[in-house]
Amino acid sequence: MSVATAFFYLFSIITIASAAMVIVGRNPVHSVLFLILAFVSAAGLFVLTGAEFLAMLLVVVYVGAVMVLFLFVVMMLDVDFAQLQKTVGKYLPVGGLITLVVLAELVLVVGSWNVAPESVLSTPTPAGLSNTAALGQVLYTQYAYLFQAAGLVLLTAMIGAIVLTLHHRPNVKRQDISAQNARTRATAIENKHVPSRTGVPVP
Amino acid sequence: MYSAIVFLPLLGFLIAGLGGKKLGDRPSEIITTALLFVSCALSWITFVDVGLHDGHFSAPVLANWLTSGELKIDWSLRIDTLTSVMLIVVTTVSALVHLYSIGYMHEDSSRPRFFAYLSLFTFAMLMLVTSDNLAQMFFGWEGVGLASYLLIGFWYEKPSANAAAIKAFVVNRVGDFGFSLGMFLVFMLTGSIAFDTIFAAAPGLANKSVHAFGLDWNAMTLACLLLFMGAMGKSAQFLLHTWLPDAMEGPTPVSALIHAATMVTAGVFMVARLSPLFEQSATALTVVTLVGGITAFFAATVGLVQNDIKRVIAYSTCSQLGYMFVGLGVGGYALGIFHLFTHAFFKALLFLGAGSVIHALHHEQDMRRMGGLWSKIPVTFACMTIGTLALTGFPMTAGYFSKDAIIEGAFAAGGHSGVAMLAFVLLVVAAGMTSFYSWRLVFMTFFGERRWSEQYRLLHPEHDHGHDDHHHHVGEPHESPLTMMVPLFVLSIGALAAGYLFKGEFIGHAAGEFWRTSLFTGEHNHILHEMHEIPEWVGYAPFAMMVGGFVVALFMYVVAPKVPATLAGKFPALYKFLLNKWYFDELYDKIFVKPAFWLGRLFWKGGDGAIIDRLGPDGVAARVVDGAGFASRLQTGFIYNYAFAMLLGLAALITYGMFSLGGGQ
Amino acid sequence: METLQLALVHALPEVILAIGVIAMVLVGAFRGKPDDGPMSEIAVVLLGAALVAIVLKTPGVSGVVFDNAFVDDRFGDFMKALALIGSIVTLLMAGDFFRGEGINKFEFPILVVLATLGMMMLISANGLIALYLGLELMSLALYVTAALSRDDARASEAGLKYFVLGALSSGMLLYGASLLYGFSGNVSFAGIAAAIGDHPNVGVIFGLVFLFTGLAFKMSVVPFHMWTPDVYEGAPTPVTAFFASAPKMAAVAIATRVIYTAFPGATHQWQQIVIFMSIASMALGAFAAIKQDNIKRLMAYSSIGHMGFALVGLAAGTEEGVKGVLFYMAIYLVMTLGAFAAILSMRVNGKPVEKISDLSGLDNTNRPMALFIALLMVSLSGVPPLAGFFAKWYVFLAAVQANLFTLAVIGVLCSAVAAFYYWRIIKVMYFDDAAPAFDKPSLTLRAVLAVSAVSMLLYWVYPAPLVQAADSAAKSLF
Repeated sequence: MSVATAFFYLFSIITIASAAMVIVGRNPVHSVLFLILAFVSAAGLFVLTGAEFLAMLLVVVYVGAVMVLFLFVVMMLDVDFAQLQKTVGKYLPVGGLITLVVLAELVLVVGSWNVAPESVLSTPTPAGLSNTAALGQVLYTQYAYLFQAAGLVLLTAMIGAIVLTLHHRPNVKRQDISAQNARTRATAIENKHVPSRTGVPVP
Repeated sequence: MYSAIVFLPLLGFLIAGLGGKKLGDRPSEIITTALLFVSCALSWITFVDVGLHDGHFSAPVLANWLTSGELKIDWSLRIDTLTSVMLIVVTTVSALVHLYSIGYMHEDSSRPRFFAYLSLFTFAMLMLVTSDNLAQMFFGWEGVGLASYLLIGFWYEKPSANAAAIKAFVVNRVGDFGFSLGMFLVFMLTGSIAFDTIFAAAPGLANKSVHAFGLDWNAMTLACLLLFMGAMGKSAQFLLHTWLPDAMEGPTPVSALIHAATMVTAGVFMVARLSPLFEQSATALTVVTLVGGITAFFAATVGLVQNDIKRVIAYSTCSQLGYMFVGLGVGGYALGIFHLFTHAFFKALLFLGAGSVIHALHHEQDMRRMGGLWSKIPVTFACMTIGTLALTGFPMTAGYFSKDAIIEGAFAAGGHSGVAMLAFVLLVVAAGMTSFYSWRLVFMTFFGERRWSEQYRLLHPEHDHGHDDHHHHVGEPHESPLTMMVPLFVLSIGALAAGYLFKGEFIGHAAGEFWRTSLFTGEHNHILHEMHEIPEWVGYAPFAMMVGGFVVALFMYVVAPKVPATLAGKFPALYKFLLNKWYFDELYDKIFVKPAFWLGRLFWKGGDGAIIDRLGPDGVAARVVDGAGFASRLQTGFIYNYAFAMLLGLAALITYGMFSLGGGQ
Repeated sequence: METLQLALVHALPEVILAIGVIAMVLVGAFRGKPDDGPMSEIAVVLLGAALVAIVLKTPGVSGVVFDNAFVDDRFGDFMKALALIGSIVTLLMAGDFFRGEGINKFEFPILVVLATLGMMMLISANGLIALYLGLELMSLALYVTAALSRDDARASEAGLKYFVLGALSSGMLLYGASLLYGFSGNVSFAGIAAAIGDHPNVGVIFGLVFLFTGLAFKMSVVPFHMWTPDVYEGAPTPVTAFFASAPKMAAVAIATRVIYTAFPGATHQWQQIVIFMSIASMALGAFAAIKQDNIKRLMAYSSIGHMGFALVGLAAGTEEGVKGVLFYMAIYLVMTLGAFAAILSMRVNGKPVEKISDLSGLDNTNRPMALFIALLMVSLSGVPPLAGFFAKWYVFLAAVQANLFTLAVIGVLCSAVAAFYYWRIIKVMYFDDAAPAFDKPSLTLRAVLAVSAVSMLLYWVYPAPLVQAADSAAKSLF
């Protein structure tokens, strides 16, 4: 057994185990941390197959950004996880049964896997190129259409997020740095002539 | 011209039926009546032209009705002597009845409807008599049945009228069933239902047989008997007669037109029209004779004791129809038609006269509440007397020629047929009874003490029973208006003279020249000659019976008015038997109506309700509701239920794919 | 590789929409006002331009461009045209409603255009990646529109449910796609078809099932329909109208394209799946709608049922069947838009109402509207000679020709059951006591309702154009 194979099994086992822990963990923070572990292990698997660019993306985007955001969300929202656990218990027998059935079937299918022997699969590292360079070569040529489509999907997601969360509340005081900096004495102070024995009406 | 005769009444029906409300009552009456008179005038022209002069036969085809394989049916008008005779009978009586109804129905609130129905009836009747094939005849046959149903039930707010209308319709269905089967059989035998074709084919079919219900039947006999079954229903012959007396629930003009002069004679006409078929089957003719004789006798006995003035005349009609069938049955088709012709006049006269009496007494129909009316309504009395004389066969009146001729014909045929002799005996006895009940009617109505005034006041204490404008009824009965009297005069003339005038043409020496091919007589059928070679006493027998009946009636209802009650007391069983019309209604109720209702209820409640509805529509509907509830409950609103459902579906599909789809490789 | 110009010519409608929508985003952002202003009109013009580009395209020109990711053919044109019509009519009808509810955000037209762009990419997808991207582009925009009325709890719930379940279905679809790639070594449909040959192995079948599950979710067929009633009821009515019309076209189109171009060798297998889904959808659509009293919810079940009927044609597995599906979707689109025009017209004193009982006695208060609704209901229930009958006729005919007698009989029976709730609406409108009268609907709504009802009624007068278009579109797939 080569070192690569050993690492493959190591990463695989960690991925599956931590994925399981995400589900069964009682503390949501623990679940998120286990999810991070799963991602990291998956990144390791990518590295083993030579897809180092994807591995880096996984770590940077998911671990670095998405999961940290998740962590904030989980810690800020007050979700009654004990209650959730109870309902999980209620549905566990039936749900578990279905899961087992699907799992068994998938195992059978994967057992018969015969990777299309006659067709030539693309490899992550074509001859003479690093994985990242290979991706770069096809991303804007062969897959330009799909790349643009993905861009539109992201645009949609962005618009959606803004539509659903941006509130234009009236009567909210906002800081306007440029306005602050542009203040002069003339705009800030108003002199009033106050006759004696009378007050100034307070606005 | 022929088309005009037939379709002018239809035009009248459409105008009065569709536009009656807009036109108003009086215009509807005038239009329909005027159209009928035009039709009537054209009919007389046709009769003179076709019957009395050259007698040319024609059958113009109006349009193709339907063509299906071998079956080809045309709308056409067959105009020959027989048709022309029927045309004048139908249009004359109908026109007079239209006129009469203007007076008789003047208190009714839906007169356009009434006149529309009358015209519809006339149209259907004319389609019947001008038909050139069995299907068109059946069309007219059903058309008159429909009109009869509508007119009997004209006063539909009366339950008895509705019941009578339904009864007439249902009983006629029995006859029509036979007619239909007969029609099918004729088509099966000859491949056509056009008269010319089947008449031409008839001689060749005389000894053919058909196989049905495991037996061989003589084809012609079977066809004729089935067709005769239709005639029995329409003409109210014995066993299928029960609807006719009840049909008197309709307005009296309707009784005169439909249930005396025209529709009920359709059966007679049909047998005469189909004489080429009936001539091929001696058996069928024997049955016709027998049924006719029994009817004549039976109806006369029942007529003896009835108290409703219209019912007496109705049984009389039934009885006279029996005479006509005997005439047909012994082979003397001309005899039957001649009696039909004269009978139309005097029976319509009697009905219209009775209507006049009823009108005078303001819808009183029970003769026990009449009497002594002759001085109050002398003209009506005179007309009724003429009608009675004609009916009883007083010498030189219409009935004398036609009825006595049938009796003589029956005797002549009796020489070679026991059944005909039996019919002769029955007819002679019936003639006596006819005379008795006819004069009984006259005596009870017009003579004796006046029994109407107190009942009249008792019956109508405040003169308030739904009719307006009846102030002139208060007090004494009085003569009817002119519109009602003119038809009586015309019919009186007919009743007196029709027999004498047309005797020669219909049944006398000129008969062959007159009828030509419209009536068929076989080569061994010499009935019109034989009836002149009979003993003299036969000729006097009906006259003697008539005088006897008159004398007895005179004795019982004028000289000694107590006698009828005494007789009824002495023979209660016989009296009740006759009064209840031989218990036919009760018998039918037990044998047919009750079991039919029971069977109907069984199928309705048990078959339809408990089985079909419960397992069918109701059951399905209930399951649908259950299914809907189940499907709605699936929708819990919880997202994890939804997700679970999706996973479940996925798992099911891949499991299915696993075990059944992927197994192929 | 083809030249860029050629590719752009083939994808001209999509290009118009993509560039246009970015321009719209910029306009919207720099206008500085939250209301929609002219954005709806701009969007309608854009969509209209795309529609014109499709209609005026040289007939018979077809091609596969963008490295096997994008296919341009008659089939795609037909379905894209339908989807565009659905989007345009939705936008036309939506304005008044959103202004009345105070949620007339300029993002809505943008999202509709984005969703429509997604649908068109989905319809033209010729490979698994393009399929997924098109699907997600469409879905993301739809998720957001469902929750557009974010202060409304029901709308938010609807949006969230749709999103979560949609994510689940996307996961399934992706899993299926990866299985397919793994077993066939191809992402393009033609490549998959070639790799499968005539003997699909069980892994391919699994991939097919998972993939189809994701598509079934978008088509809302049983058992992946659960989101439909809740989302239809909760979302703002114009959004519901949108959901019921355009995305259905895209989903049915891509499902048809996938099974005919990628799995011709597995006909027997997918036929079984489609038949199962078809029967389940028809039955559920027929039965569950009976108990509904909310008309939007009723329309949800109605659309589930109609998708079941459309799948009958799909199940036939023949060119006739595809023609039936195309035809069915066209008729369904018109009927649905008409029905939603009617629902949008249901406003009392400025407030929208959506109970069936609100339609009571409509014949007394608004006779033309009652008549048009009645016509649409009769057509939806499939009574001749209205167009709804011909739609069902074609799919059932295809099924019978393919010897799927049981399916056809069940379909007819379900159609009979479903007639109940359509006719109940007619009964309510004509025989019940009058409910408060509706406000006078806008000209657009009246026009949409009238045009759709009358076109359904008079379809039989001149059916040739639609039949021929469906015919040539179906041919291009074989």
